[in-house]
Amino acid sequence: MILWFILASMTAAAIFAVLWPLGRGPRARRGGSDLLVYKDQLREIDRDRAAGLIGDAEAEAARLEISRRLLAAAEAQPKGAGKAAVAASPQSLRRKRLAAILVLVILPLGPPSLYLALGSPDVPDQSAFARVNAPSGREPVAALVGQVEALLGRNPNDGRGWELIAPVYMRLGRFGDAVEARRKALELNGETAVRHADLGEALAAAADGIVTVEAKAQFERAVAIDAHEPKARYFLGLAASQDGNSKKAAAIWRSLLDGAPPGAPWVGFVRKALARLSASSPIATTPTAGESAKAGADGLAAATAKPGAATATNPRVSASTASAHPPDTPRTSVSTTPSTGSTSKAGAIIPRNPQQ
Amino acid sequence: MIPELGHYALMLALGLAVIQGLMPVVGTSSNDDVLIGMAAPAALAQFGFVAVAFVALAVSYVTSDFSVLNVYENSNSTMPFIYRLTAIWGNHEGSMLLWVSILTFFGALVAVFGVNLPAKLKANALAVQGWIAAAFELFILATSNPFLRIVNAPFEGRDLNPILQDPGLAFHPPLLYLGYVGFSIVFSFAIAALIEGRIDAAWARFVRPWVLVAWMCLTLGIAGGSYWAYYELGWGGFWFWDPVENASLMPWLAGTALLHSAVVMEKRSALKIWTILLAILVFSLSLIGTFLVRSGVLTSVHAFATDPRRGIFILTILVLFIGGALSLYAWRAPLLKQGGLFAPISREGALVLNNLFLTSACVTVFVGTLYPLALEALAGQKISVGPPFFNLTFVPLFIPLLLAMPFGPLLGWKRGDLVGAAQRLMAAEMLAAVAVAAAFALEHGGPVVAPFGVGLAIFVMAGALVDIAERTMILRLPLRAALRRAAGLPRSAWGTAFAHFGIGVTLFGIVAATAWGSERIVAIKPGNSVNIFHYQLTFDGMFDRSGPNYRDAVGHFTVRRSGGSLIGVMQPSRRTFPASNMAVTEAALMRRGISQIYLSLGDSNLSGAVPVRLYFKPDVIMIWWGAALMFFGGALSLSDRRLRVGAPKPAKRIRAALRAAG
Amino acid sequence: MTRKQRRLVLIGGSLGVLAMALALMLNAFRGSIVFFNSPSDVMAKPVAPGRRIRLGGLVKSGSLLRGDNLKARFEVTDGRREVPVTYQGVLPDLFREGQGVVAEGAFDGTGVFRADTILAKHDATYMPKEVVDALKKSGHWKDEYAQRAAVPIAGGGK
Repeated sequence: MILWFILASMTAAAIFAVLWPLGRGPRARRGGSDLLVYKDQLREIDRDRAAGLIGDAEAEAARLEISRRLLAAAEAQPKGAGKAAVAASPQSLRRKRLAAILVLVILPLGPPSLYLALGSPDVPDQSAFARVNAPSGREPVAALVGQVEALLGRNPNDGRGWELIAPVYMRLGRFGDAVEARRKALELNGETAVRHADLGEALAAAADGIVTVEAKAQFERAVAIDAHEPKARYFLGLAASQDGNSKKAAAIWRSLLDGAPPGAPWVGFVRKALARLSASSPIATTPTAGESAKAGADGLAAATAKPGAATATNPRVSASTASAHPPDTPRTSVSTTPSTGSTSKAGAIIPRNPQQ
Repeated sequence: MIPELGHYALMLALGLAVIQGLMPVVGTSSNDDVLIGMAAPAALAQFGFVAVAFVALAVSYVTSDFSVLNVYENSNSTMPFIYRLTAIWGNHEGSMLLWVSILTFFGALVAVFGVNLPAKLKANALAVQGWIAAAFELFILATSNPFLRIVNAPFEGRDLNPILQDPGLAFHPPLLYLGYVGFSIVFSFAIAALIEGRIDAAWARFVRPWVLVAWMCLTLGIAGGSYWAYYELGWGGFWFWDPVENASLMPWLAGTALLHSAVVMEKRSALKIWTILLAILVFSLSLIGTFLVRSGVLTSVHAFATDPRRGIFILTILVLFIGGALSLYAWRAPLLKQGGLFAPISREGALVLNNLFLTSACVTVFVGTLYPLALEALAGQKISVGPPFFNLTFVPLFIPLLLAMPFGPLLGWKRGDLVGAAQRLMAAEMLAAVAVAAAFALEHGGPVVAPFGVGLAIFVMAGALVDIAERTMILRLPLRAALRRAAGLPRSAWGTAFAHFGIGVTLFGIVAATAWGSERIVAIKPGNSVNIFHYQLTFDGMFDRSGPNYRDAVGHFTVRRSGGSLIGVMQPSRRTFPASNMAVTEAALMRRGISQIYLSLGDSNLSGAVPVRLYFKPDVIMIWWGAALMFFGGALSLSDRRLRVGAPKPAKRIRAALRAAG
Repeated sequence: MTRKQRRLVLIGGSLGVLAMALALMLNAFRGSIVFFNSPSDVMAKPVAPGRRIRLGGLVKSGSLLRGDNLKARFEVTDGRREVPVTYQGVLPDLFREGQGVVAEGAFDGTGVFRADTILAKHDATYMPKEVVDALKKSGHWKDEYAQRAAVPIAGGGK
């Protein structure tokens, strides 16, 4: 209600702003005139003459030119000024009325009908800062988590809520909580390959990057549902390498690479893992498998926040957001897993002046 | 509610823009003062509502209101305050809103400060502003609306493109827009003059400050963009002849020409028709720049095709405004009266020469930028026109321009004395010759023409000094008298000298940095060293560092003189942004006098060695100092009281004069 | 000088400068334009060794070999043909196997393309437009490549 009231007063203000001159009645026309400019030009010639910037003869010629224009302007002057006084003729009244009608049609009808078509008057403001009431950079996440937790406390069967908070837990390093959240999500939302893989990833992260038996079971279940689930397959390879079975790990990863869709962003990461595996002596700067799993999980948390968010969008606009990050395709869920590993840098786009 | 208020305010602004575009035109054609009087309040109100819209979007960004789709897509609550603010124009929708905000702000300035303008001229100019604003507001609402909402707001936004999270780029777009849009005012005045069919001396007086402001902002914007590219892209280059860069260079070249032709028009009432044409062309080039960058034709044909509405909409605006303006010009320009006479060798003649070379240079850039697009569209053949093309066309056109530049200010109005000017420039000529000889003696390697480039730069700089020396007669009069003359010199004269000097400084930097810079590209392991120029850099190792919303992999390098004494430490890094999973290169710069050591990291490969690009860039800082000097010169000129807003005298006296006249 | 003469000088001067600009452009167009080719184009119509071209396509998966001194060798493919490319220098941030790339340089006598500039200027999903078109032509375009168009980019290398 308040919104409509403010919108109405804004419209009224706009109407008033343009109709106000109509009500003032005729006024003497104000404005500059050429006379002064020409007079100043004459003075400037004298200055230039004194400074040696113009020759004597040329100065005289220029003075003549300007004087001619000055005279012409002076003749035109009274005519224009005289006209300004005649304004209250019937014609001008008609024009005034027409202008007022035009204004009263355009402003009260145009913007409101546009707004009814495009606006979203029912959507409340949801600023992150108002929502958590904390100014600095990192606290909002913690406060947000608190809020979602409170919500989930009241309604523990909200599967979407669990799915939303799990990646945040992952990012915050609260892997134990992430395991719980993903278990709940799996339970409430039904099993999919991605959910099993996610749970396995959380379990592995909670175990300091070791793919435990429990985690492995989740990945195996994921692969059973969808043999192409890349994250599960990656971790299964990792499990094999942690078991000391490099050959098997390499085989898994290689088949993962062979089946990779062109342009899959995790290809480079898996290839590097493969390279590390085959390297005879480990290089000092290369992270251990455990570390990279953790880093991968970490990066994944940041990314999976997005598909979650996309599912939450208004159907009218979600088409554009969701199509960019389809929430349920395996592609999204792994796309970023590898890229935060400390040896593999996600690529930068290098725009030139993306200003205008 | 705040985004909704902004959304509605933008719609109201569109309504007001339509009124602003209609009423004054009817008023001026029927000579109705009441309707004419509606222009200014409409312009002010329109600015007010656009400002409300912009502030509403800014509030949504700063408070991270992810219920606004645009905020969700381009911001993140972990970003520092400053980038949450600048993220507004880090995306298409927000930047178009900024464009319109600046446009209406300038319109409001005209409405408020244009009291000394002929009323009809002002009303028509505001009407043209209204058309432009209406077109772009419609464009925003129809194709690029920043106020679309999301019902269930996501918890976190997608983050601003990391490459934009940099102070250099935060302020580069607004400066460019100030330039582009500043020229829209000039365009509006040109159209208004054509509508009326007459153009008077007040026109040039009023337009010149706007040309100056727009030119200054564009100069700074281009220089800022170039410095940003220099340190952020990691290649050490400061100008790439990239279409996006060219899009801002073309209005600058034509705008510089306009700046000079407006002087002739203001002082001598000559070159009217040409100046009007230039005014139309400069803004047309600004619009073309906007089109090139915004429609996506440059990035990829595909980007244009995914959202063709945007491209086609801007193209329509482009065709309507440029086509309309040029038709009006063809119809009305012959009505404009010719102005003062001048001999070919005169100040006017020099300024015409300046215009010829600048517009020709602009044409070459235009052809080089658009020819590949045209060829692909018409013949389907793909080519790229790169730096070699521009080096072969643009540079040869600029050399005679720069050679002639010091002569211009020394020539008299109407008829000048070329031999006399050459004699007075003797000192500059000799200095330049010495510089060429010194450059040959001191520098080895580099192209043979480079010393001549240095000589030209010195000639330009010295020429600016000679101009001031001549005007103050500092060498002929006693010091005190000369100082008195210096104080009495119009500020616009000082402005000219500073800006011309700045051109020389920039040229010097460009020549030195491109001709005598050195470059090393190596893979380096911890503990190893690499030498460049007189310096030795030792790679100590990598370490990690984390920022508010990114992680840095930092390389630690110790810099020593080749002799051995320690100078300092350089820390280039590769910065990863987890929210968007992108990485950017952060080059490290170390200033040595006016030169720089430049170091950037590549992606480390498996062997443990880190690839680095290492450059020594002699005198490179002068490139941007020169631009700063040009800006300062413009500011000095702008502060000249005679040029300030419209007419030569304060408003009070004008009114008194009017009473006397009427 | 009469009015007429003055105008003649002005017009003559203008035409002179314009003619100069035109001559410069025509001259530059002859020498400094670089054509874009896909591997199939190159195979169909061989390019003379030493002539500068741009070669665009995808970096063939598994073809990248890194040597000492920042030397790199890889193959550019458009799905039908491959062209071996050598390069020495720092590869761009986004140079990846399986991703789009534009290499500028010339063929040596043995059919190897020696690139002196590598442009891989795109984010994870963006591709240089020439590559997109070339891939479309050879039928290897997939729509997921175009999910997100990036901002234009400059730079490139030496």
